[in-house]
Amino acid sequence: MSIKVKGFLQDVGGASRVTKLRAENFAKGSPVPDPRDPIRDLADKLHPKHMVFRCTDIREASPTSRVFRFQSADGHIPVFQSGQYVNFRLKIGESVLSRPYTISSAPYEARGPKGFFEITVRRNVQYLVPDWLFENVKVGDELEGALPFGFFYYEPMRDSKDVVALAGGSGITPFYSMAKEIAHGKLKGVKLTILYGSVKANDIVLKEELDAIEKECPDVKVVHVLSDEPDWEGEQGFITKEIIRRYSTENCTYMFCGPLPMFRFVKTALDELGVGPRRFRHDVVNNPADVSTLPGYPKGTEEKTFKITVVRGIHEDVIDAKASEPVAVSLERAGIAIDTHCRNGECGFCRSHLLEGEIFVSPIGDGRRRMDKEMGWFHACSSWPLTNLKIKIPIM
Amino acid sequence: MKFYKDHYDVVIIGGALAGMSACLQLQAWGIKDILILEKHNMPGGLATDFVRNGFEIEATLHEMMSIGQPGRRLKVGQFFDDMGIDIDWLPVHECYRVALPNSGIDKILHHDYDGSYRTVAKEIDEVCPGTYEKVHELMLLCRRVYDSMNILSVTPMSKVQMLMKHPDFVKTVGYSATEVIKTFDLPQKAVEMLTPYWIYVGNRMDDLPFTIYAFLMADYFTGSYVCKGFSHEMSMKMQAKCEEQGAQYEFNQEVVKILVKDGKVTGVRTARGDEIACDYVISGPYPNRVYTQMIEPLSEVPVGAIKMINNRKLSVVPVSVIMVIEGTPEENGITNYSTFSGTTMDTNKIWENYSNLTEPYNYITTICLNYANPTLPEGYTQLSITALVPSKPFESVKEEEYFDLKRRLANEMIEECIRITKVDFRPRITEFEVTTPISVAHYVGAWKGNIYGYLHSMEDHAVARLQMKEKDHFIEGLEFAGAHGMSGDGMGPQITNGRAAAKAVKEDMEKKKEAAEA
Repeated sequence: MSIKVKGFLQDVGGASRVTKLRAENFAKGSPVPDPRDPIRDLADKLHPKHMVFRCTDIREASPTSRVFRFQSADGHIPVFQSGQYVNFRLKIGESVLSRPYTISSAPYEARGPKGFFEITVRRNVQYLVPDWLFENVKVGDELEGALPFGFFYYEPMRDSKDVVALAGGSGITPFYSMAKEIAHGKLKGVKLTILYGSVKANDIVLKEELDAIEKECPDVKVVHVLSDEPDWEGEQGFITKEIIRRYSTENCTYMFCGPLPMFRFVKTALDELGVGPRRFRHDVVNNPADVSTLPGYPKGTEEKTFKITVVRGIHEDVIDAKASEPVAVSLERAGIAIDTHCRNGECGFCRSHLLEGEIFVSPIGDGRRRMDKEMGWFHACSSWPLTNLKIKIPIM
Repeated sequence: MKFYKDHYDVVIIGGALAGMSACLQLQAWGIKDILILEKHNMPGGLATDFVRNGFEIEATLHEMMSIGQPGRRLKVGQFFDDMGIDIDWLPVHECYRVALPNSGIDKILHHDYDGSYRTVAKEIDEVCPGTYEKVHELMLLCRRVYDSMNILSVTPMSKVQMLMKHPDFVKTVGYSATEVIKTFDLPQKAVEMLTPYWIYVGNRMDDLPFTIYAFLMADYFTGSYVCKGFSHEMSMKMQAKCEEQGAQYEFNQEVVKILVKDGKVTGVRTARGDEIACDYVISGPYPNRVYTQMIEPLSEVPVGAIKMINNRKLSVVPVSVIMVIEGTPEENGITNYSTFSGTTMDTNKIWENYSNLTEPYNYITTICLNYANPTLPEGYTQLSITALVPSKPFESVKEEEYFDLKRRLANEMIEECIRITKVDFRPRITEFEVTTPISVAHYVGAWKGNIYGYLHSMEDHAVARLQMKEKDHFIEGLEFAGAHGMSGDGMGPQITNGRAAAKAVKEDMEKKKEAAEA
């Protein structure tokens, strides 16, 4: 016996009934196309693929650093959060170089028709091409790129209201943005203590600006820690466990932005203080300029040069590559565009396929997925050739 | 510089599960000249994961259905085996916990791999004594409908034949889940315990075709799986197989136009401007996008296609809070894999609540991956909380309010979850992401952020879709593969949708070949 729902005839007529209903409805439908998709529009507004930025102001932030201010050519800057970065696509000679810069201005300053964002750049920091910016970008120039990127920001659902920032050198930029946002009445309830390490007093980036915020806003405190300024009246030396402990509260969140040696130093201190991943947020940490100093690197290889066969679609190029440079840099030198963002292995925009050969992957910021590792996919920005390679990269 | 050949037999737009399945199926039939163009730089679309601060986090997969145990494979599992794709399937040891404090229900239900459905009947009987026979009979009815549906979707037969061989299927097609379940005269509590999965097909029980409900119940109560290497494993292995068998698969290539001449597909154009000729296009993008934006020229779009898309209602979209939490699941009050909970199981009320953005969501799904995947880092809980809601309210969200909205929704969903876990794990949140239809639109470009295709309703019934297959086909050489396909939403059905598109292409090729020979 099969089921009876309402009666034999009504039951067996179901298929015809639902088909007739559907066909009738379709026939009645409006013939006017409706291409609107407000949800995709909002997604595109939040994450524009390609933007044009006009430089509207350049000013000094210290004897060795400058602030570049940009407005968007179309007047719209997507909402971002303090700590996120802009990715510029710089046309330098034959190459297109994509380079990330943390936004140093506050999110609120980007709103409205005159909204802007700023980056703060220090001279002579390796491979982030700051010298090129210093020498080439003038007020009125246009640069291409997009924003926002990155996951280094204060997340109220996760982080403590008490934030201890650990900054080194130009690593002050995300915290300057955050401090300004707090001073503007945003990030409600957050108390920010910035432990800012510099070598000498005149190395301090954005010193006057930071002083002004501290004076104006009781929720922001800046502690300068100078390593080579004997007459300094404040904290001296490095940002040690003792200094961190002095400015910490129970269960506070630590946010780090600075160079690799400082990262290692601070990480050790926090480990000793028993601070786990939940309470320690850090920005992308740049790999050292000398790959051979990385743990696990087969020393001696860095002197070598290799060939890389680069597959894009059905097209192949063979390029020269120095063992001492990441694969992405060799591609850029050869004028082959690759979509890099974070430049240190975390974000995965430059995810590529290793078809033949061997690479060294930096253990710093290795953001590869487990299956990517198993199946030979790598992030070109933080992988160095150890042999001749054959790789497949996305067409740009 | 030439990155593409001048011509391909088939161009597949979107290298997600459906697109890749279409490719694999075509390759199995000897059709090898295939180009897959994927918008993102990862395969699999939503079947993916992400890494934050060293934690690898599943983005979407709750359960992979129709896999079956080795030696007793079901449709999707068999397909992977047949294709030589070896996925490390990890069984999920339960169906779900249904926790409805207002109804006095808190029970974990389990599947039977052998499809006997005795365990679920027994477990419901423990809560509602005397219901064993009825629940068991309802589950067996679901199974017969499931089996019939699987046969009929590939083997057409006459109405008389259908009635003879598949009477239960035929007789329940015209009714909603509510109407058929009513005939079993079950107590309210038992009905509520058998309702939770409705959300995985996204319509109220009063408007959800029993056929779909039955398919879902029969399938899920034979057990589900996840991948050891997250859903990314499935996507990666499918992509590798497509490429190994000669398909060209390119990332970061969004197709913006489908070129049509005299009612027939001639090629595609990508965002970077490549024009690629082909005979067939299998489209991941929704018909709504294709017929209103992508066909070039738009004058090639028949008015019937516009009428069709204007008449179809979209299904639900996910709002998910995805977290890594310090501490073991037990320490965070979580004792099982999958929990449906809320203030009600009245799906009409839930639907009303889901259709606005002002009240907290009153029905949520909580998934704790640790209980299915033992390879996760120790001492941390990987938890996601999801509501699947209509996309409409998100259409009016403003850019400036979006981040606050996400956090509010997340906090409300966590509070609903905590009513069950009884442990407020918020101070231990270590990684935190919220995904919305806007995130879906951003990553995969799906129409209005829709992952579930068109609403399964009595007006747009799966059986009617099947019967109107020919009528719904408007442009020669253009097929669709995605959640908007015949088999609807979910990762398992995407495999089936992809294969159906491949079948349509193969049959058309054969027809043309015969015509040319004649």
